[in-house]
Amino acid sequence: MSDLFNPTDEHRALREMVRTFTERDVDPQASEFDRSEGFNAPLFRKLGELGLLGITVDPEVGGSGMDAVAAVIAHEELASADPGFCLSYLAHSMLFANNLERNGSLEQRKRFMPDACSGKTICGMGMSEPGAGTDVLGMRTTAVRDGDHYVLNGAKMWITNGAVSDTELGDVFLIYARTSEERVNGVSLFLVEKGAPGFRLGQKLHDKLGMRASPTAELVFEDCRIPVANLVGEEGDATHHMMRNLEIERLTLAGMSLGMARRSIEIMNRYAAERKAFGRPISAFGQIQRHIAESYAEWMAGRAYVYHVAGLLDLDSGGNRIDSDGVKLYCSTMAKNVCDRAIQVLGGYGYVGEYQVERLWRDAKLIEIGGGTIEAHHKNMTRDLSKLDKLR
Amino acid sequence: MKILVAFKRVIDPDARIKLTADRSGVDTDSVEYKANPFCENALEEALQIAEEHDGEVVLVSAGGPDIDKTIRAGLALGAERAIRVEIEDTVLDSDLAARVFAAVYKEEEPDIFFFGKQAIDSDNNQCGQLVAEYLGLPQACFASEVVIDDDGEVATVTREVDGGLETIALTLPAVITADLRLNTPRFAKLPDIMKAGRKTIDVMDLDDLDIEDTALKIELVSLEEPSARQAGVKVGSIDELVDKLKNEARAL
Ligand SMILES: Cc1cc2nc3c(=O)[nH]c(=O)nc-3n(C[C@H](O)[C@H](O)[C@H](O)COP(=O)(O)OP(=O)(O)OC[C@H]3O[C@@H](n4cnc5c(N)ncnc54)[C@H](O)[C@@H]3O)c2cc1C
Ligand SMILES: Cc1cc2nc3c(=O)[nH]c(=O)nc-3n(C[C@H](O)[C@H](O)[C@H](O)COP(=O)(O)OP(=O)(O)OC[C@H]3O[C@@H](n4cnc5c(N)ncnc54)[C@H](O)[C@@H]3O)c2cc1C
Repeated sequence: MSDLFNPTDEHRALREMVRTFTERDVDPQASEFDRSEGFNAPLFRKLGELGLLGITVDPEVGGSGMDAVAAVIAHEELASADPGFCLSYLAHSMLFANNLERNGSLEQRKRFMPDACSGKTICGMGMSEPGAGTDVLGMRTTAVRDGDHYVLNGAKMWITNGAVSDTELGDVFLIYARTSEERVNGVSLFLVEKGAPGFRLGQKLHDKLGMRASPTAELVFEDCRIPVANLVGEEGDATHHMMRNLEIERLTLAGMSLGMARRSIEIMNRYAAERKAFGRPISAFGQIQRHIAESYAEWMAGRAYVYHVAGLLDLDSGGNRIDSDGVKLYCSTMAKNVCDRAIQVLGGYGYVGEYQVERLWRDAKLIEIGGGTIEAHHKNMTRDLSKLDKLR
Repeated sequence: MKILVAFKRVIDPDARIKLTADRSGVDTDSVEYKANPFCENALEEALQIAEEHDGEVVLVSAGGPDIDKTIRAGLALGAERAIRVEIEDTVLDSDLAARVFAAVYKEEEPDIFFFGKQAIDSDNNQCGQLVAEYLGLPQACFASEVVIDDDGEVATVTREVDGGLETIALTLPAVITADLRLNTPRFAKLPDIMKAGRKTIDVMDLDDLDIEDTALKIELVSLEEPSARQAGVKVGSIDELVDKLKNEARAL
């Protein structure tokens, strides 16, 4: 029988490689960067050396040419140790690199992809704004054609990798902006580089609950001039690109939830066997058994759902929103609950940093918000399901 | 320069293992396999030498088709091709393995034949030495540093021996066995993982190789699980501790 979670030998080898790398290099630095809210750029560049940054990008332009399952595996493994670091990886490899790979021209891919895949540049994607999140098409940032340039005005909020320090911008971004008032057909996509005139860091956000190892920033555009060559696709067709890329974004975010849940289960399982109360290991008590067993079953259910959807997802296609939203809807809350139970099983020890589960719990909460809130998934899924008569 | 690396598959050392009911072996139903860590050090060293001296690294392993997965992991790290000698794991002892490897050496005629100093499953620590003996080659075991001269003719090897380090020079071709401190094995890069699937694994039968003596020299009689660790004792005072260390544990 083929293994749903490692369908090919390459997938298995990838998982083993990322797991060993995670144990050796990612685990040891996680709590330090959580506390300092810093971005570990040298470690990030190592992901480039390993070929992980361009995991779904064509080898012709520097990528590794793997599929959605591979992307999920990499996110699951990295997030088991350091979800914050993994979120930066996701913004770079999925929101930027995979997006440009599917929607950019060969010329644009040749120009930006080799450095993005090696980690020389640190990249991200800007869709959300201070006044428009779930209602993303309510965005107000504008792009007006002026000769062979577009002039951008507005601001993007919550942009992962928007800054690499308190004062320094990330390197290259895919930015959605309005080229007309038409709600759906008035959105276009632009490549904006650090150094473009009128492009500056609004602020690096501080005091996030979790995901503190991934920098989040506000980006500001004031008469920012972008050459026409940096328009991705056609003017006005970017809503389509956005919707398609949101599918792999949500799938890999769900993959991150799987990693967090797995680590929490491992920790509570080990602790419950060792911790004694009333003369017995606490794993002998029914309430603890319920925490562990339910967590495991929910995690496996989520895992089967995610890998099933990943196995069917063609990165060049769209129209899979019911399940790309569905996996994140289920796994985000599942992982948050599992992390919560792990804290509970560890008692007072679960409440402090040393045992890792309080950090995972803080990080797990983000997946209910970022990349679409769970309410947005309710809305999208119900709308798409209403068009179906029967379920296959 | 051509470098041959013996690359053995072992049961994942971190896995909890069970014996079969008749205690003739380990229950392999649900175990995971990995490359022997010492073989990974051997491969890493071979790759570094090949990079510096423009060489080719060839893996050699003995076993059935199910070890190909481990071999491919080695190919993903950068070995160019591999040779698998078809043989059942259960009918292999160190001596037969060494005779097989010596025969492959004669086919390939490499400049260096690298081994791990031992395999972490049976911990025999003798394959490299036996191969050197059968081939009449110089050997350097437990290498913690290897330097090849510019002409590719001499290997200067630092060995970890009891109580210190010994540095020796060998005329190539030679057998070298790797210790853990020799290097830190690299991670496979993703594009190389993808390429590994297309690299060649040549399969040879025992009959293809000129081996006179294929008899097993070792018979496995039985295996025992380690006895459960006994509970510790609490001591009331330093004096009592010293007394116990002296008279019971005889550690002082
Ligand atoms: C750490 C972090 C990293 C992020 N990284 C990025 C990034 O790299 N790029 C990027 O573009 N964005 C990023 N985001 C933004 C993220 O996608 C948004 O936060 C998210 O889409 C929600 O938008 P909002 O915060 O404006 O909340 P709002 O949309 O204002 O929502 C507030 C509440 O109202 C609910 N709500 C809104 N509309 C409806 C409705 N129709 N029905 C029911 N309930 C509704 C929401 O579910 C939520 O509970 C990031 C956010 C965070 C926190
Ligand atoms: C911030 C903080 C402040 C604190 N302040 C104080 C203080 O000022 N003074 C003080 O004395 N203590 C204090 N405590 C300790 C607190 O009261 C203990 O953490 C709490 O009683 C749980 O004990 P424990 O952490 O040892 O967990 P454990 O007792 O080891 O429990 C671990 C898990 O096993 C479960 N469990 C244990 N026994 C059973 C059973 N029989 N049946 C079912 N489940 C069981 C528990 O519910 C828990 O889920 C504080 C703790 C924290 C985190």
